[in-house]
Amino acid sequence: MDELYLDNIDEYVNDHNKIVTYKWLSLTLGVHVNTAKQMLFHYLDHKRKESSAPLHATYLVTGKWVENGNTSHKVTVVREEQLEDVKSKMSFTVSVHVYSVQKASLKDSGPLYSVDYDAVKDNLNSCSRYSAITCADAVPFAPGDARPAGAGLQFPTPDPHQIRAPPSFDGPGHQTASKAPAKPQPKGIMGMFASKAAPKKQEPDQEIKVEQKEDTTTADVSKIKSASKSSTMSNFFGSQATKRTEKKVKEEEPSSCSVKDNSESSPPAKRVKETPNEEKVKETQPKEEKVKETQPKEAKVKETQPKEAKVKETQPKEVKVKETQPKEAKVKVTKEAKVKEAKPNARSKSKRKEPSDSEEDKMETKKRRRIKKPQSDSSDDDDVIPDSPTQQEMRKPPPTPERLLKEKIVSQPNECKRRKRRRVMKSHTFMDEEGCIVTEKGYESESYSESEEHAPSAKASNVVPARAATGKREDEKKTKKKKMTSPPANKGTKQASIMGFFQKK
Amino acid sequence: MTTLTRQDLNFGQVVADILCEFLEVAIHLILYVREVYPSGIFQKKKKYNVPVQMSCHPELNQYIQDTLQCVKPLIEKNDAEKVAVVIMDKEHHPVERFVFEISQPPLLSISSDTLLSHVEQLLRAFILKISVCDAVLNSNPPGCSFTVLVHTREAATRNMEKVQVIKDFPWIVADEQEVHMPEPRLIPLKTMTSEIVKMQLYVEERAQKT
Repeated sequence: MDELYLDNIDEYVNDHNKIVTYKWLSLTLGVHVNTAKQMLFHYLDHKRKESSAPLHATYLVTGKWVENGNTSHKVTVVREEQLEDVKSKMSFTVSVHVYSVQKASLKDSGPLYSVDYDAVKDNLNSCSRYSAITCADAVPFAPGDARPAGAGLQFPTPDPHQIRAPPSFDGPGHQTASKAPAKPQPKGIMGMFASKAAPKKQEPDQEIKVEQKEDTTTADVSKIKSASKSSTMSNFFGSQATKRTEKKVKEEEPSSCSVKDNSESSPPAKRVKETPNEEKVKETQPKEEKVKETQPKEAKVKETQPKEAKVKETQPKEVKVKETQPKEAKVKVTKEAKVKEAKPNARSKSKRKEPSDSEEDKMETKKRRRIKKPQSDSSDDDDVIPDSPTQQEMRKPPPTPERLLKEKIVSQPNECKRRKRRRVMKSHTFMDEEGCIVTEKGYESESYSESEEHAPSAKASNVVPARAATGKREDEKKTKKKKMTSPPANKGTKQASIMGFFQKK
Repeated sequence: MTTLTRQDLNFGQVVADILCEFLEVAIHLILYVREVYPSGIFQKKKKYNVPVQMSCHPELNQYIQDTLQCVKPLIEKNDAEKVAVVIMDKEHHPVERFVFEISQPPLLSISSDTLLSHVEQLLRAFILKISVCDAVLNSNPPGCSFTVLVHTREAATRNMEKVQVIKDFPWIVADEQEVHMPEPRLIPLKTMTSEIVKMQLYVEERAQKT
């Protein structure tokens, strides 16, 4: 082995100011990864002796890690400064080798991934040519094999004892005793990304597993109720759910299916549950939320889709969904517990939606209060306007399940308009004895048809402060105007507001 | 493969969008790497399939977005020659300048790279280069701030003054004090040539920073 490689690496590191990872080096020079690791090690050694320009290095450390009594196999990339520290903390160090060498002191690990990205992409067909991770059973699919996409994407459990790939590399004896020849990691193509991705993937893997377990336990607790929901909901929304291309969803579906099989659902409960929800379902977007809300297990779908759903959805539709559930609980007493359980579950799992969650919680608690005391006075003015249209929704479901119980229920939602009477919070503006314009709010029953129900709720939503990213501009303006006028008028102050004069309530 | 010209798809807009997206990511990354703001406000996000650090601070993000909104029409018309991210010390003297020189071919057309994956690769390389630039630069004094200067061709700015692209976000002609850097050192970082744009990134650094 000539010493030219030292010059090569020197050129890359010093002249080009590149980050030289062992993987990139092996693909660039066409050598086995273990050779590349040795090269980097020698280079570093050489340069350190010469004590020329400062070099930084990162190392890959793998070993047994004990934390809180749990033992795990940890694969981590550490900076040189932290190397000894991490090594000492590991109960048993399996391997340590140089991961990269660079001039810059990296602030974070992002560039390390970027470095390998293009190199791997260019050699995608043969990226494991120089890899030390092999498995005799991993062969590419024959062209005739048509396997469903989901099956191929299942990550195998990282079981160190199960997958132990013996090194097939028999070149010059670069296997030193200190290095483990193969790391127990997912085999085949995934092995390519194993060493870098393992820390990342193991975590999401474990996270997915843990959450699946969580899901199944919560499902067991509220077995009948949630299962009835899930069976109907997943049937109804099955096509919608599968359109979501995220892997997490695919992994959840097996879990939800298994729960479905275990449970028994009572048909009338199923029907009653289904149809009131169906009435609300006009577009795909509320359906997304249904998937979120009605399936505690699939609350993870909510997590993975908050970005796309959030952009489209509006607050009251979500709130509306949550609120129909307590109403339907009147029909089936047992469902109440489930619904309340679903909400904490949904809440606990939706980490990404924290800002909107807190508002939803607020709205919820206000709603809960209102369910018990629908006649509460208009003391909190800001809440009245947004709440009133949603109360309309709450009033609506009770008549309908009863109605539907009597009729034969068809699976299709009733899209046709129906005129109903509902109690609406209406405000009356009038001149009182002192010549002040006073606005008072009161309930009135009003007849309306289904198609109108969405518009007022959309308007009301946008009064809810800031973080909801959506909101049509005109609605915001309208609601802002309302907001501006209502506080001065409703508080019954003696001053007439200018805007109140021009606003129609 | 059909040739798309500038007239088709309003190609100028497409290129301007791509460049502005890239500049946004690059500015955030420069702020992160040069420690203009504490690293706590940055969060890892994904762009061009690689992790990049983007700030979460809403006002900072809004400022950068507004800046680029105003720059976009200039890029569309190919009036912007250079976009410079200038890091200034407490006395508002420039300490470092990251200059993106942009030039677009007069007859824009893409023939082979319809998905622009090659362009994405080149932009990825830029991002990577910014991440490691601290190896070739001296560290900045504490308490730095940043600004964005745009060097335009001819008198394009006159139009800008007439038509404010974003309300309450006026652009003014930069002072000599903000532009002139005594004894700058030039450090080239990256160049890219593609069918839709040619871009060069270099850093001008003041010889004595503190």
